[in-house]
Amino acid sequence: MSFDLQKMLESKRAFRRKLSSLPVAEKLRMLDDLRERALAIRAASPARAATVREEPPPYRKIDNQ
Amino acid sequence: MRIREVIETINRMQADGVIDRYAIGGAVGATFYLEPVSTLDVDIFTAFRAQSKESLVGLEPIFDYLKARGCSMQGEFIVIAGWPVQFLPATTPLLEEALRDSVTIDVSGVPAHVFTAEHLAAIALQNGRAKDKARLLQFVEAGALDAERFQSILARHDLIDTWKRFEKQFLTP
Repeated sequence: MSFDLQKMLESKRAFRRKLSSLPVAEKLRMLDDLRERALAIRAASPARAATVREEPPPYRKIDNQ
Repeated sequence: MRIREVIETINRMQADGVIDRYAIGGAVGATFYLEPVSTLDVDIFTAFRAQSKESLVGLEPIFDYLKARGCSMQGEFIVIAGWPVQFLPATTPLLEEALRDSVTIDVSGVPAHVFTAEHLAAIALQNGRAKDKARLLQFVEAGALDAERFQSILARHDLIDTWKRFEKQFLTP
């Protein structure tokens, strides 16, 4: 283990490049796992509402009904 | 919980004539080009069929179709295979173009229609929230954008000045 910041940043970049280059199907499976994990963490927090919401992007302000 | 099932369901819905063209946007769309980033929902952009010049068909046919196949509503989302999915009309010129120019990417034998990386980046720039800026930086740092194509989109949609500000804030050493 190194505390060289440049090394750490390069290592992070390399890991992100590796993740980006994975097959799409595998990356989508990872999204499934990430969401399950996020929901489990949120469910364990009593301070949060049961419904998980994100700040909507501007295009959602359009009345689409 | 499986995004692949979401894509299969939407493809079936398209084949059954409920929607015309569709494209995946947002964080799920970006994952086709970048590393996966946790997200809570799936954004599906679609061109809603016009009944007349004055009115657009609403979301009801989509919801009716999906509810009949066991999907449930959750606020403005419909839950498909455990994922909240939001159907969004491509109502701005940028979104209309992004939908028109969307590409088909194979997901282990399942075709998925997705915005191009350049359109996803331009939409992120236009939206301008912190998470959109972070996503745009990811696109730039990953070298996922065709610079010429990206610049032409920015020029067509009056985003050159916004891009210059972004460049100055985040990409100038």
